[in-house]
This record gives sequence, C-alpha cells and structure tokens, in this order.
Amino acid sequence: MADAVFLALTVITIGSAIAALEMRSLIYGSIALMGTLGGIAGFFFILDAPFVALFQLAVYVGSIAVLILFTVMLVKRELIFKKIEDRKRKFAGIGLMLIIMVSLGAVFLDSGIKTITTDEPAVDFRDIGTDFVTYYWPALILMGLILAGSVTGALVLARREDVENDQRVS
Amino acid sequence: MSVIAPNFKLSGFIKSIIDDAVWFLLIFSLIGFPVIMMVLFYIPMPVIDGELLTPFLAFTYLADPTRTLPIVQAFMTTDMFKVMAFPGFGFAALLAAGTIFVERKMLAKLQLRVGPFYCGKVEGILQLAGDGLKLISKEIIIPAKADKPIFWAAPVLFVASAAAFVALIPVAPGWVVADVDMGLLAVFAVIGFFPIVTILSAWSANSKFPFIGGIRALFQMVSFEIPLILSLLGVVMVTGTLNLSEIAASQSSFPWIVFLPVGAIVFFITMLAELERIPFDLPEAESEIVAGWLTELSGMMYGLVQLGTYLKLYAFAALFVVLFLGGWNGPMIVPPFPMELATEGIELGPVTAKIGGLEPILSQVITQEMINGTLMFVLKTVGVIFFILLPRGVFPRIRIDMLLSLGWTKLIGLAFVNIFIALALVYAGVLGPGGLQ
Repeated sequence: MADAVFLALTVITIGSAIAALEMRSLIYGSIALMGTLGGIAGFFFILDAPFVALFQLAVYVGSIAVLILFTVMLVKRELIFKKIEDRKRKFAGIGLMLIIMVSLGAVFLDSGIKTITTDEPAVDFRDIGTDFVTYYWPALILMGLILAGSVTGALVLARREDVENDQRVS
Repeated sequence: MSVIAPNFKLSGFIKSIIDDAVWFLLIFSLIGFPVIMMVLFYIPMPVIDGELLTPFLAFTYLADPTRTLPIVQAFMTTDMFKVMAFPGFGFAALLAAGTIFVERKMLAKLQLRVGPFYCGKVEGILQLAGDGLKLISKEIIIPAKADKPIFWAAPVLFVASAAAFVALIPVAPGWVVADVDMGLLAVFAVIGFFPIVTILSAWSANSKFPFIGGIRALFQMVSFEIPLILSLLGVVMVTGTLNLSEIAASQSSFPWIVFLPVGAIVFFITMLAELERIPFDLPEAESEIVAGWLTELSGMMYGLVQLGTYLKLYAFAALFVVLFLGGWNGPMIVPPFPMELATEGIELGPVTAKIGGLEPILSQVITQEMINGTLMFVLKTVGVIFFILLPRGVFPRIRIDMLLSLGWTKLIGLAFVNIFIALALVYAGVLGPGGLQ
C-alpha cells in the first residue's frame, strides 16, 4: 500500500516538475509547480512528519505558489523573455539532467542510506519546539534575524515617497 | 389563443413516460444491477448479530425493526456516514442553507423590506429551494476566450476546499470526520487553497471584472491569513495541543474567550475578511465591479461557488466556536432518554410495545452527551453566524488601502499582543500545569 502511494507521489512530483519546466503556458506551469510542492508534502506525510507536511502545504502551496501565480498573471511574458530554442540545446539539457541525476543517485546509494532503520516513532512537534529553543537556539535566532531583515528591507523598498501624507490611511 | 405547448397530446406524453421507464428498466437490469453487485463485492459489509450483511439479507431486514436498527447503528459508525451526513457535508450544507435564508430575511427586516415572501406559504420559506432549482436548470455559459479546463474545475475545487475545511471541525465528542493531530495546522493549510482557487477562476474567465475581483481577493486573503494564524497561536499556547477535539475538550470549565478576548476579536475580523463579507467584500463589490470574481460564472457553477462560500462561512464560525467558545461544552439541557422504554418497552394497558435493537443504538451512538453536545455546538455556531451576518446590514464597504493597512499594521500588532497575553498567562501559572487547568 505504502509502495503504491510512494510510486503515485513520485510520478506526480516528478511529472509535474517536468511539466512546470516544459509547459508553454506560464499559468499551467505554475499550477504544475503547485503539484510538485504538494507531492513533496505527500512525501513528508508518508515519512511520518505531518508537521512538516502541513507547513509545506500552508507555506509553499498556499503562499509561495500563490505569489508566483500572482506575478505571472501580472506580467506580459512576450515583453521580457526572448525564446531561443533549438534541438541541440534541448538534447544537451536532457543529457545534462540525466548525468546529474545518475551521479546524485550514485552518491545517495553509496552513502549508506540503506542501512538506516526506519522503525523509530514519529517525532512529536513539541520535541522539535524544545530542540529549537534549547540546542539549536543560535540557528533559530539567526533565522529570526534574517527574516526580520528581509521584512524590513521589503517595507523600505515598498515605501512610496510620492504619496502625500493626506492620502495615507491614518 | 396562445398556449404554452400547442402540440401537446396526453397520449404522446404517457407514451414518452412509458418509453423512458422501459429504457430505464432495461438499462438498469442489464448494466446497473450487475455494476451494483460488482461494487458491493468489493465493499466490506458489516457483520451484524454474527451474520454477514448481504444485499439479500438486507431486503429481509427491511420489514423488521429489531433487525433494521443494528444496520442503522452499523451505518452510523462508518466513515461514509460521517463524511456525507452528520458531522460532515450534509449537516454543514443544512446549516449553510439555513444561513442563506436567515441572511436574506434578516437583512430585509433590518432595511425595512419584506424579503422573500411568495415561495411557500410561510414567509417565503421555499425561496431557497426555488433558487436552487433555478440555478440547476439554467444554462452554463462559458466565455468564448476562457481557459476552459481551469474555468470548469474552479467551482468544484472551491467546494472541495470548503468541504475539506468542514471535515476538520469536531461537532460533538468523537464526532469529527478527520480527527487529525495537527488539526489547526491542517486548517491553515486548507485555508491557503482558497486564494489559489479564487485567482485561478478569476484569471481563467479572461474578463476584466473577474480579474480585478480576483486580484483583490488574493490581496485580501493572503494578507489576512497572517493575523488569522497569529491570533490562533494564543489558544495553542494555553492548550499545548493542535488537535481541535482536544482544544474543544480543554474548555470544559471556561471558554478561552474569557482569557484571550483580543485574539478572539482579531480572529473574528480576519474571518470576515477571509469570507469576503461586508465590510470587506471588495472581491465581489457589486456596485463597482458587477460581481467581482463571480461575474462570468453562470448556472450551477455559480451555485457551487455559493454553496462553497456558505460552507466556508459555517466552517469558520464553527472554528471560532471550537477555539474560543468552548465547542460542544455547555450545560446539560437535554433530558436523559428514558432507557426503560427501550429495554422493557412501552406498556399500554394489556399491550407491551417493545422495539429491540433500540437500546444499543441509544447507549452507544446517539447518546445524551452527543445530542447535548451537538445542540450546544449548533446554538453557539448559529450565534456566531448571526454576528457574521449582522455587519452586512450595518456597515459600508471600506477601501482596499484601508483594508490592507488594517490587516498589516493593526491586526498583526493586536495578534502579537494576544500572544504575549497567552505567554503571560502560562508563565504566571494562571493556566497550564499547576494553574486553573
């Protein structure tokens, strides 16, 4: 049963990833990207990590993909991109991808991943929280600072100088 | 003389009905009945009183209530019943339908109008059925330059997302379709799908008004999701769980709105914005952009979107009840069912009427606790829905920049205030281990 689910998820994830790259329509491409991200959430589900899976759904599918969709809809593609397309580039791309996948697969198979036992119980999200504020606290602080910095930067960038004060919402 | 159907002949009418019946019987006996049997072959049937329930046995049970009630009981404990009927779709759709009618009548009374009046004898009570029939029978018009696959899929996806949301709501102890450990996170994940469906539907119609409405909906939903999530973190902190059933059960003494009123207010306002209700109904502002992102939808596609909207409204109100108002907890006002009627029967002079099989169903499935919990839950949910509907008769629509500044500055700030209140309550020992609960 789990194998069938795994295979289906694999097909969905990789298939929609290829579709996301190859689709001519940008909208359909970003829908396919949602499929990929949702498939990854499914992988987290069958890896007994529902916490990560639901965050994957809420953040990546619910927010990031929406932002991509939003950007794509407001952009006229023809004005920005110039298509350069010939058979040589296409085959070179496919060949490069195959080489990378084979070498990555070889690395994974060689890394002793087969000897990992998988019968451990699922990690509770409270344990993750405890770990975050005890052992991994520098990483948490660093992430918080980076996020705060990016939000501040976005606010500074988005601030418009040409808006009069009485046009602003009090 | 003008008649509606000038070529009408009663004999032709009867002939057409007989024709249809014959074709139906022929096709059903040749295809339908074998298909049902094949499907039944793969469905695990329940074992009742030591006997496997087969379709043939089921027919014999029809005549005998002592043998029918166990089947009903077995059916009520299946997942299918939960998904389709009681805590799931049917229950929610019933409440949603009631909401639509009450909204129209109440709005009319607020504005000194009459509202629906002619359908049905009493106060236009059949108006909703009439509207439903109208929507089903109308032609579905697809705009010529629309992106057809997405345009067709969007209303269905909208209802599906709303139904997934409904499935997470616990109605009574143990009565929930999907009892997920990460229930609240699942709610956040499901809420995230609504803007996608909205913007896809709006874009695929390839028309100006839907697109403007869709962009507005996206702005509004995405920016109000953040205070929504933040305002609920306080409840998670004081309960220490994300499971919605456990959160509801933890409020047996007092609801969390007593301790976290700021969070409840912020959640209520974001709820109005997520539901696109007045005063935040910019995505479908009918006086500016026709009907917003719903403009090009016609017939039952519009009906599906409306159904999804009201399912979503019920689900949000129910979530408010579960998180802040104590869910199914409340005074026990339902009297206990006189069990001796089920165990010993009703004595009417010389005759004793006894229905066997009634006792297990009353003590295991439809218990007093479940009925009372459902009643309390419905009462509270209806109250919250009333307060969601009320602003529609009171407030005007606000501008989009006011909306966004409200969401991004005031509500997020208040949500953080709520989080600090929750932290203070937990660390001061008022709530949590060693405290009141």
